[in-house]
Amino acid sequence: MLSSEGPSGNRTLASKALRKAGLIDEDARMRDVSDRPGGRKGHPKSLIHKTRTSHRPRAIDAVMGKDQPGSSNRSPMISARFSAGSSGQGIAIRGASKATAAGRLRRNAISVNGDNSTRGPKIIELWREFVNSRWNPETRFLNLERMVEDDFIAKNRMTPPGAPGSSAKEAGVIFKIAGQLKPEIQTLSLANNAISNGAVLSMLSHYLPRLANLSLEGNSLTVWKDLDYIAGRRGKLEHLRELILKGNPIRELEYQNNRVEKFKSEIARRFPSLEILDQEAIVKIAFDTPLASTSAAGQKPRGATSFPAEMMPSFVTGVDGNLISNFLMRFFPLYDNQRSALIDAYHPQATFSFSANTTIPARARIEGYHTSKDMPNQKKLEWAPWLTGGNGGSRNLSRMGGSADKMEKSLHVGGEEAVKAMANLPSTRHDVAGSPEKFCVDAWPVSHGDGTALFMAIHGQFTELPAEGIRSFDRSFILAPAPEGSRAKLSGWDVMILSDQLNVRAYSSHTAWQPGPMRVQAGMPLSSVNPTPSTILLNPAALAQLQQALASIPEPQRSLVQQVCQQTGLNVQYAIQCLEGNGWDLGRAIANFDQVKATLAQDAFL
Amino acid sequence: MTTLTKNDIHIVSTAAEHFTRLYYTTYDSSTRADDLPNFYRDSSAVTWNGTPFQGKAGVRELLSKMPPTKHEVQSFDCHPVPGAQPPSLMVSVSGNVTHGKGPAGNPAATPAKSVDGQPRVFHQTFMLVPDPATVPGEPQKYYVNGDILRFVG
Repeated sequence: MLSSEGPSGNRTLASKALRKAGLIDEDARMRDVSDRPGGRKGHPKSLIHKTRTSHRPRAIDAVMGKDQPGSSNRSPMISARFSAGSSGQGIAIRGASKATAAGRLRRNAISVNGDNSTRGPKIIELWREFVNSRWNPETRFLNLERMVEDDFIAKNRMTPPGAPGSSAKEAGVIFKIAGQLKPEIQTLSLANNAISNGAVLSMLSHYLPRLANLSLEGNSLTVWKDLDYIAGRRGKLEHLRELILKGNPIRELEYQNNRVEKFKSEIARRFPSLEILDQEAIVKIAFDTPLASTSAAGQKPRGATSFPAEMMPSFVTGVDGNLISNFLMRFFPLYDNQRSALIDAYHPQATFSFSANTTIPARARIEGYHTSKDMPNQKKLEWAPWLTGGNGGSRNLSRMGGSADKMEKSLHVGGEEAVKAMANLPSTRHDVAGSPEKFCVDAWPVSHGDGTALFMAIHGQFTELPAEGIRSFDRSFILAPAPEGSRAKLSGWDVMILSDQLNVRAYSSHTAWQPGPMRVQAGMPLSSVNPTPSTILLNPAALAQLQQALASIPEPQRSLVQQVCQQTGLNVQYAIQCLEGNGWDLGRAIANFDQVKATLAQDAFL
Repeated sequence: MTTLTKNDIHIVSTAAEHFTRLYYTTYDSSTRADDLPNFYRDSSAVTWNGTPFQGKAGVRELLSKMPPTKHEVQSFDCHPVPGAQPPSLMVSVSGNVTHGKGPAGNPAATPAKSVDGQPRVFHQTFMLVPDPATVPGEPQKYYVNGDILRFVG
């Protein structure tokens, strides 16, 4: 279903995204690794001998592929570089053993380092000129690879980030200048600069908070702390989509030690918005990320001191409330007393799983529910049956560490597997009938595939046996009208379960959803009066379809409707119209349909 | 519907992880009122503690009146829902949320035993559906079609 793309597809995907981001060139993979990246024949020199204006990128150059070194040299970027033939270069840059040009540069850099402070405005202008020479406004790409090798840097005796004697200060100046570039910078490469301390990056997210693509390839970052300077939390690179870390010890050591998955998941955790890591898509499903918005950076949160609305009672709309209560009043008693009988309520491909949230809730702890003399059995409750029971254990995906095995085993597909898993969970007592205030239901129809489903969440509590202690739970369902002749329908279920997720928690009182105003914190006003409810706009056709499908059509009409649906593909609503217009005669209805079918709108059909 | 493969399960589970991280990071950010609506479409329906909000505009309205938040996700789960192709996804999330400045924002005279300002337990269920506007060759894009949130502790 989702996995039609093979590995090659993934690579294509990644490189396509990279090309879009300007991180690799069309022919990056074709390039011979011996073609020295950034081959510095002449052009940096020419940079120096040319006038200042010639350093500025010209649009035509970008189009002709003859733009400034920053861009023309991105062609060997990025995949080609860390291949066997080129790895020596990175070492040559880091090591000071050979009397290379880079080595000389470095000594020069050190010798002038002390002057930086006195050079003041001039050095900042030099950095600005350098940044401009590496900037491609067409692709919004600032290429700061191998800065130490740049002749402009050498000639002006500048100390680029990563070079011996450099500090976070130079990097800060560069990032500040980069932050002033127009249009706003999208992609930054700091590849192959021998950066070994994340502190160099400490001002990056301050000046470039909306950066989308970043290459740190071929540097010497070693520990997670180095990345925490830019990790996408607390106002750091929150919009980063693509990151390259190849050739840094922090990545290579994990790869050598077979901790690839752990490495990827650590990175994904640190950069929530990341989609592509080292040219490989780490997501196959994406969302419209905040990047697309026009929000002004640095905007302060509105300091609302009250909630937008009061706590309201159960919200059920677009569906007959009786349908929901009938379902729940049947489901929970069976769940408590005869779980195996629930098999009929599940679609043959239905999904079921349960998860445990074992955290002690702050408010319940202060209220003392877990130590109260009134609830002596709370201490007897144990998590083990929930964490490891149920034929596969708790499916709390935040505790799986990326284990594909566990993800698969803890998801139960089909009614039979679902009830088997449930049978292996602790026995329960849900007092749905006796204490309805201890339960809360929100439900409404949603479109699903070509039809309509019911989207529902229930919160409540149950007594766990044999401990007789009380737990809280949340259960989320997707339900569909049970089709005529289905196992669910034959067993008297109006709806059948497509998806069922149970979450079990330590007990919190149902007063959490007691209707009424709520307070943000002590001394603050209660939640404002509710806004005029903006009723959920349901797709009227979908709603009609659902209600029609659920309406009890008396026999013998029901079987006639069904036959028309089956033979013509009409939906229930149109099938009824067709039969009504033909005196409920099946033959006439079908003949009539054949005459007019070409004129029927798409929405007449199932 | 075709049978779920191990790879499919891995894909949707990873997607859920990506989604929850992205969603709550955005929710807790200073630009949430502009950014969070991007996860929704105009046809999306949301209930926040039993009060309905419709579409991107509704989400924006809800957030513009919300005190600052800090979410901590403690548990989440995700299923591909049978009956559609590519599948709809149901994601459920359990965790706690602190509003305003938390207990530190209470006046000095507040009794130590007060629950005011303490984190609340929240539960949120999302129905994610494929966006037909996905560009071929790019990752399948999803958006939030339905969203039910309740404070539950």
